[in-house]
Amino acid sequence: MPTLLTAFPDFRQLSDRRGRPWRTSDRPSTPAPGSAHVGQGNGVVRLKVNGDVYEVGVPEHYTLLETLRYGIGLTGSKQGCDKGDCGACTVLADGHPILSCITPVWEAEAFEVRTVEGLADGTRPHPVQDEFDLNGAAQCGFCTPGILCSAVALLDRNQSPTRDEIREALSGNLCRCTGYTKIYDAVEAAAGRLREGAP
Amino acid sequence: MLRLPPFRYHRPVTVSEAVALHLECETGQYVAGGTDLIPNMKHGLFEPPDLISLRRVQELRGVERRNGELRVGAGETLASIATDPLVLEHAPALAAAAGQVAGPQLRNAGTLGGNLCLDTRCTYYNQTRFWREALGFCLKKDGSVCHVTKVGKKCVAAHSADTPPVLMSLDATVELTGPDGSRELPVADLFVTDGIWNSRREPSEVLCAVRIPVRPDRRQGYAKLRQRKSIDFPLLTVAVAADMAGDVVTSVRGVVTALGARPRVLSGWDELAQGRRLDADLIEALAARAHEQCRPLENMIVDVDWRRAMVPVYVRKALAQLVR
Amino acid sequence: MIRPSRSDHRVIGHPQRKIEGLAKSTGRAVYTDDITLPGMLHGKILRSPHPHAEIVSIDTTAAAALEGVHAVITGRDMPVQYGIIPWTPDEYPLCVNRVRYIGDGVAAVAALDEDTANRALGLIDVEYRELPAYLTPQEAAAATTDFIHEPKKPGHNGNVTKRVRLEFGDVDDGLDESELVVEGDYFFEGTTHTPIEPHCAIGLFEGDGKLTVWSATQVPHYLHRELARVLDLEGAKVRVVQPLVGGAFGGKSEPFDLEFCVAKLSMMTGRPVKILYTREEVFYAHRGRHPFHMRYRTGVDGEGKLKAVDAEILLDGGAYASFGLVTTYYAGQLLCAPYALPAYRFDSTRVYTNKPACGPKRGHGSVQPRFAFEVQMDKLAERVGMDPIEFRRLNFIGEDTRTINELRITSNGFLECLEAVERASDWKARFRQLPFGQGLGIAGSTYISGTNYPIYPNDMPQSGVQIQIDRSGRVAVFSGGSEIGQGCDSVVAYIAAEELGVPISHVRVLRGDTDFTPVDLGAYSSRVTFMLGNACIQAARELRAKVQSAVGEAWECPPDRVDLLGGLAVDTADPARSLPIAEAFNLAEARFGTLGATGSYNTPKDVHGEYRGGTIGASPAYSFTAHVAEVRVDVETGIVEVEKIWIAHDCGKALNPVLVEGQMEGSAYMGYAEALMEEQIFKDADHGRAGLHNAPSLLDYRIPTSLDTPAMESFIVESNDPEGPYGAKEAGEGPLHPSIPAIANAIYDAIGVRLDRLPFSPPNVWRRIREAEAGGGLTKPGAPSREVGVAP
Repeated sequence: MPTLLTAFPDFRQLSDRRGRPWRTSDRPSTPAPGSAHVGQGNGVVRLKVNGDVYEVGVPEHYTLLETLRYGIGLTGSKQGCDKGDCGACTVLADGHPILSCITPVWEAEAFEVRTVEGLADGTRPHPVQDEFDLNGAAQCGFCTPGILCSAVALLDRNQSPTRDEIREALSGNLCRCTGYTKIYDAVEAAAGRLREGAP
Repeated sequence: MLRLPPFRYHRPVTVSEAVALHLECETGQYVAGGTDLIPNMKHGLFEPPDLISLRRVQELRGVERRNGELRVGAGETLASIATDPLVLEHAPALAAAAGQVAGPQLRNAGTLGGNLCLDTRCTYYNQTRFWREALGFCLKKDGSVCHVTKVGKKCVAAHSADTPPVLMSLDATVELTGPDGSRELPVADLFVTDGIWNSRREPSEVLCAVRIPVRPDRRQGYAKLRQRKSIDFPLLTVAVAADMAGDVVTSVRGVVTALGARPRVLSGWDELAQGRRLDADLIEALAARAHEQCRPLENMIVDVDWRRAMVPVYVRKALAQLVR
Repeated sequence: MIRPSRSDHRVIGHPQRKIEGLAKSTGRAVYTDDITLPGMLHGKILRSPHPHAEIVSIDTTAAAALEGVHAVITGRDMPVQYGIIPWTPDEYPLCVNRVRYIGDGVAAVAALDEDTANRALGLIDVEYRELPAYLTPQEAAAATTDFIHEPKKPGHNGNVTKRVRLEFGDVDDGLDESELVVEGDYFFEGTTHTPIEPHCAIGLFEGDGKLTVWSATQVPHYLHRELARVLDLEGAKVRVVQPLVGGAFGGKSEPFDLEFCVAKLSMMTGRPVKILYTREEVFYAHRGRHPFHMRYRTGVDGEGKLKAVDAEILLDGGAYASFGLVTTYYAGQLLCAPYALPAYRFDSTRVYTNKPACGPKRGHGSVQPRFAFEVQMDKLAERVGMDPIEFRRLNFIGEDTRTINELRITSNGFLECLEAVERASDWKARFRQLPFGQGLGIAGSTYISGTNYPIYPNDMPQSGVQIQIDRSGRVAVFSGGSEIGQGCDSVVAYIAAEELGVPISHVRVLRGDTDFTPVDLGAYSSRVTFMLGNACIQAARELRAKVQSAVGEAWECPPDRVDLLGGLAVDTADPARSLPIAEAFNLAEARFGTLGATGSYNTPKDVHGEYRGGTIGASPAYSFTAHVAEVRVDVETGIVEVEKIWIAHDCGKALNPVLVEGQMEGSAYMGYAEALMEEQIFKDADHGRAGLHNAPSLLDYRIPTSLDTPAMESFIVESNDPEGPYGAKEAGEGPLHPSIPAIANAIYDAIGVRLDRLPFSPPNVWRRIREAEAGGGLTKPGAPSREVGVAP
């Protein structure tokens, strides 16, 4: 099992917001039912990302995006707005697009994460990745990883989307360069390739 | 990047574990989808040392019809509610409202319970700590002045959730479970007019489910105003429901939100509508009655006169959906 | 002067992939914040909570003592003023004794992680003495004390950045002689660029005295110069690396506080330091569209020909000069095409206010006057009873001509642009004939293909490219061009492939690093394709000639019989005779030695008038654009739906039509966004705190989603500019301009209400509609009453 263990600088230095270090006595004791995960302030999170399992030492207040980018080194997912307004950090959680910048990393143990780096089949890009390139759908490319995740989620459930369905599916991803038209062209072209049996 | 304040993260798998953890932590806060709380924490509006996640609690899931009611687990995501066959059949206005919350990714994480517990919003509040400090803070958080009313000690931050007005118009109730056991509360009674904490839910209580009466004679409508067609919070949300005897109205309810700290139940509608056919004249009369009652405040950065003028327009849009 | 050498291009003019396209769509593309260096520290900047205040004292002791903090700096650590325009340096990397807007940088820290850095900021104690804040340009212009900047001369108003008054021809006579004069007051609200990538920079100062700064900048060369100057380092020891940039639009086209801070903090700690702006800080950095208060008087004769234009413009500049000197000129200088103006006068004043500094946003300085002017044109056309497209044709300035302010116009495809959108929108059958509530509007525009002069005066080339050829057939292009998403790295690859006959995949573009690329001045003023492209052609053709010569020698034929294409050297007189291109390169290397060449581009100097300011607005070529917008207006709500924008743009020659269309659509989208929703605005004293940004987030500063953005259709017009690379001109900024007036004019066609103030947000439109109703009701305007040139 491939494992990567990373400790962030503040992994062992956690303190409360008034700057006092947390003491063991601050921590709640395990509740009676026993099966609940009890927060420790930090720990080793086990994430399944693009089929790989990573164990990452991470403070509990880190987001999934921060852990992907700065812990695991998967920098494809981008940070644009800080707080769930732009969609650049979109990743797939069990196939559903979510915003990794507002997802506490420990939540991500509950699902399989797929990022832009996990859309291609080895060296063969996903048809929608290829069509983005062919159609000029990525200009600066910064919103692209998030848009591709939303687009793949759409194409996974609907290989004949109408333009309105594409617009709806991408409506949580802001693009500032393209005016979206070339993105629709790319998704439509990819849908066509998928209907023709492209992997 | 805006950082979250430090917290410990707890992941109970049952409601009772969650409640027990809350009791033990004292300063804990529940979180489900996190789509409201996490951005608010990044703004320093909440700094709970303990977060108690409800995402693993299976009891909070599921949609079922029983005893003449639709019971929707509070942990269901807004996306699943928007497409759930039972919800679409018995509470289509709820499906419509859930399907128009924010954008697709938020609906995949945000839950019905979270939407019911959404913090109120205000232009002077939903800002970073730096911004609020430059402002001099406000009544709702860290300060003593309301910049909207400039007088008084009442916070007027706006209730900005899409689903509660629908649930109120449908006479829905919520199930709450806390350290002292479980209780039920009509959604209409869940909210109070205090923008700081506008809910009768105790912080220690988990909102477990919503129950909606199934009424074949009831027609439902929903209309929402926002600047963009996605991502944005509502500037105005109108939910209407009418109980019909044939073509004649026996009772009609309208609920409007995104004005003040709680959704407003429009008054005087039944006296206008009871026993009448739902025609253009009646719709106009109901819209006019709504207009008289709704006075938006400058808690959002959008022209209040326009927002007020939109009340009858969107009430008409919602009521028009009831006409067959 | 480069003319197209061949019409049978193999690469140029055809749809191509971008060289970094798959890297971007597979998540491999590297942007600045994707870089983590060993031992890297994280920096944060403390910002002013006051719009205008004197800094009395700063105590950093507690912050410096916090565990995990490695350095704390204040303005006194870098007390050198800088500014992108050499004549108006008025900023410090961190404020020294005065803060001028809420968000102005005051101190910075470097710490082990972001949380510690944030905690350290909270421990810095700054004592301020508040000063009166000027929030509107009118207040600022009327001020007599407490100026935002010291007056340059005693008795002057220190709040005035620049005033420009120019007159060409006799405007008063022209207006007097006009059959009809239309007057209008217009307001263009400020907007900001909003690239999805926030600014980010990393500094690394090494033991040998060398400084490297990685930055999401559009202008590595200017950053290089300013870093050396402000930090007092030798330029030769400073290196600027520009990773891929996640959007810019003018918002990253000058040095920012974070770039100086990461450098200084690294110089103090010996460790790499990264600063990534929060989205809120991006709004404070700003340098976006200036709010313009404009008054226009436009006169026409009885035929409908323009006689004279008189403009008064007040620019709200924000706290610093930025590019404002240029903006003040552009506000007037760029209006003189595509219509012939026999007389033109403008009086343009930029003032400081206590808000984030305004600067260049896509269509710098000319989007605002274009909005006002094209609405004026629409009003005039209606008053003289002409179809507004015919009215524009009648006033067309022509090609190979000079504007009234003496700018040289070469190629000009504006008439073809008008025709394309007229036909595609079915204008003749639908203008003034759609049902009430639906409308069509037209607008035209022009824009520069690069400024004719660099920002600091010098005679060196504006753009340089170096090409080196390997024995394997690989072609390396060393390009200083700034790839910000527009595709300039790909453009040089296409050119190298076209000229040297290699597949694009054999071209490597080595880029974005001042240590090994020749100087290009940066991605601004739509200069890159024109200037970098010409430089690249020059380098490539020098090598091409060597290869032709060596192969010709081997084949004993004249060199010009040798063509390089499709991976081969081919004898054009005997197509059966060919060589793999690598072998051809080897012949050339054997004959001439290692194969390398440089190419430069500098502008022609005879393209403008010899008056003060005459060079500002001058360009080697101008693009032209026309849009038709179709709208649907709900008079009850004020909601305007822009259903479609037809965009026709004369880009000279589309080197890659996919990229050109992308620029046209992206520009039209951005104009649409400014027209309907965007506002960079601030609270006033009655609303919380004067000078506080209204909503520095992507939730509340609304940019359009996919569901909002209209359908767009692009029509490329190719006028084959005599000096552009293969005939090319710009495409990245011009197509923004007409969106806004076309939408305004379409709203008028729909409901007969003029919108002279931006944005056309539902509340604003609703208020104008209510006013119109109170003033006599809403009606669809009448159809044009006469044909061209027929007297009324």
